[in-house]
Amino acid sequence: MSATVTRGRAGLRTGMTWPVLIGWGVLVAVAVVLLLAPQIFSAYDLSQILTQALWLGIAAVSVTFLYRYGGMVSLAQVAIYGIAGFAMGNVVHTINSEGGLNLGWTPWAGVAFGIAVAVIVALLFGAIASRSYGIYFLMITLALSLLVFYFFGQVTKLSGFGGIRSISRPGFIGDPITDPKPLYYTALGASVLVYVLLRYVVRTPFGIALQGIRDDPPRMRSLGYNVPLHRTLAFALGAFVASIAGILSVWFNTQISPGSINLAQTIAVLIIAVIGGLSRLEGAWLGALAYALIDYYARQHTPTLGLWLNPGRFATIIGLVFLLIVLLSPDGLIGIGHRLRDLAGRRLGTPPTSDTAAAREEQALPETAGVSTASGPSSSGGQEP
Amino acid sequence: MAVPARVTEAAEPVLRLRGIGRRFGGLRAVDGVDLELYPGDRRTILGPNGAGKTTLFNVIAGEFPPTEGTIELFGADVTQDPARHRAKLGLARTYQQSRVFDGLTVEDNIYLAALGVRTGHTFPFRSSKRDAPLRAKARAAAGDVGLIDRLQSMVSGLSHGERRQLAIGMARAMEPKLMMLDEPAAGLSRAERVTLIELLSALPSDVTLLLIEHDMDVALRVAQSVTMMHEGRIIVEGTPAEIRANKDVHELYLGSRYYDE
Ligand SMILES: Nc1ncnc2c1ncn2[C@@H]1O[C@H](COP(=O)(O)OP(=O)(O)O)[C@@H](O)[C@H]1O
Ligand SMILES: [Mg+2]
Repeated sequence: MSATVTRGRAGLRTGMTWPVLIGWGVLVAVAVVLLLAPQIFSAYDLSQILTQALWLGIAAVSVTFLYRYGGMVSLAQVAIYGIAGFAMGNVVHTINSEGGLNLGWTPWAGVAFGIAVAVIVALLFGAIASRSYGIYFLMITLALSLLVFYFFGQVTKLSGFGGIRSISRPGFIGDPITDPKPLYYTALGASVLVYVLLRYVVRTPFGIALQGIRDDPPRMRSLGYNVPLHRTLAFALGAFVASIAGILSVWFNTQISPGSINLAQTIAVLIIAVIGGLSRLEGAWLGALAYALIDYYARQHTPTLGLWLNPGRFATIIGLVFLLIVLLSPDGLIGIGHRLRDLAGRRLGTPPTSDTAAAREEQALPETAGVSTASGPSSSGGQEP
Repeated sequence: MAVPARVTEAAEPVLRLRGIGRRFGGLRAVDGVDLELYPGDRRTILGPNGAGKTTLFNVIAGEFPPTEGTIELFGADVTQDPARHRAKLGLARTYQQSRVFDGLTVEDNIYLAALGVRTGHTFPFRSSKRDAPLRAKARAAAGDVGLIDRLQSMVSGLSHGERRQLAIGMARAMEPKLMMLDEPAAGLSRAERVTLIELLSALPSDVTLLLIEHDMDVALRVAQSVTMMHEGRIIVEGTPAEIRANKDVHELYLGSRYYDE
């Protein structure tokens, strides 16, 4: 058995197998395209597809992180980025005072305030939800999501269903409609930072302990860990990431209303994480890109086919495409990518990477799916004793 | 039947149970158990399935509180304390089904065991670089339980025997003063049992060991004293020789087929 390990490690260390080379090639190509995107794509595509995919990806990666490393299926991430967006929208200057408190703070003070409020709410909420697992955790986060939606809908001083409009942005972002470049690069930079941060955290003592909690919370308790505290902190970290998406979405849309964080959006972000693939953090952005693309083309190009299909029913197309992806690959687009890479590697004459440590990590999905799995100690009950 | 006298009798008990009871609805899984362990004791709990042995372990470890009685660990009343406090006091346990972390490597599993009883793991950004000594400790513990070749293997790929070894390696990495093992030999091959006996015999002499074991070889070779449970109660205590000679034990246990799970 140790031979397997040695082969895997050797493959990684020399870095010369085809799948590894393909992996690096894809990475370099993606980096080049992302950096040169404003030169490659039209301003409209850059904004509506790429910038949108980047900030949605940040929202979705908070879902992926909590699930992949913490075993938590959270439906609260959209509500949390809404809290950040509304908090910022209320305190910064809004042109013509369109909704919100309009306290006239500078945009950057608004960013700090928005993120801080979202993280504090997540800490308080996490303290309540952290003793729940599986479907119970999911239901509690769903409750938060609805609560936040109605709160901002009904408290008209802070928003009302009309929302807050013309929220001011930092000067360097300018007007994304006439020049989408600065916001695009901002979203790209934020995505890279979030990705690096999460990759770092999951290998810290905190991150490894979080994975232990994902696999078996009572066992972790008996090893001396404060499981609810740990889960609360992980949830707050997820909220920090989501709140960055919230800030970017407000800059992108120049406004925020309860409609931006409704149940449909909550589900959309969950779908993005799932179709991207929950086994790797990168999946979130891949899913967001697919979502933005499908959304964009389905809205424009849904044909009319008799009575049952017409451009007004683009959502049907979106739903069918997602269904197809999930059916083709349980691990979403990331899973399809890995299979293509291994296939290409095999054609080029080296064995697939399925023995390497990295591949093994890819395969290690949490068992606590929450919704579908009822087995395993961690999903067996709603509350800790 | 008296437990053999020992020099450490004067020392403070590592564990003292007084009148421990645990009910599940109408079922008295554990009923009026008194037990004292002194530093360095090696005690085996014997008893047929359903005798309440695992329930007693759960109560001692703080998985759930007893419905009656008090628990003292190292002189402190911990009856109401959460499991993690007991771990930090120096209690380590294993489970009947080796509960290990499937989504992590062997090294990470043992590392987590070594880390839990220390502080600092609740700060998300604390670097793992500072943990080199703990990592070294984890690798050493893996070596002790014969898993040195498997350090970077995912635990989901381990055999049953390896999972058992890992569970013990994790308990050792906590460097506990009291170690409780729930049927460590269950499902092991003959050769693996021999390794296990060697492993347990090699524990530092000041580590107190409380063992649940059906396998008489393991139970009686490692233990200096034996406690026999039946229907939630302790019915006999004695040396392995006394237990072997006891008529009740034979009727209840040794003569029957109970050891096949
Ligand atoms: N969590 C629980 N809920 C209800 N009954 C339980 C629970 N745990 C154990 N029992 C019952 O308590 C009795 C003792 O079980 P256990 O302590 O596992 O016995 P042993 O480990 O000696 O085989 C059994 O009848 C078992 O069904
Ligand atoms: Mg048992």
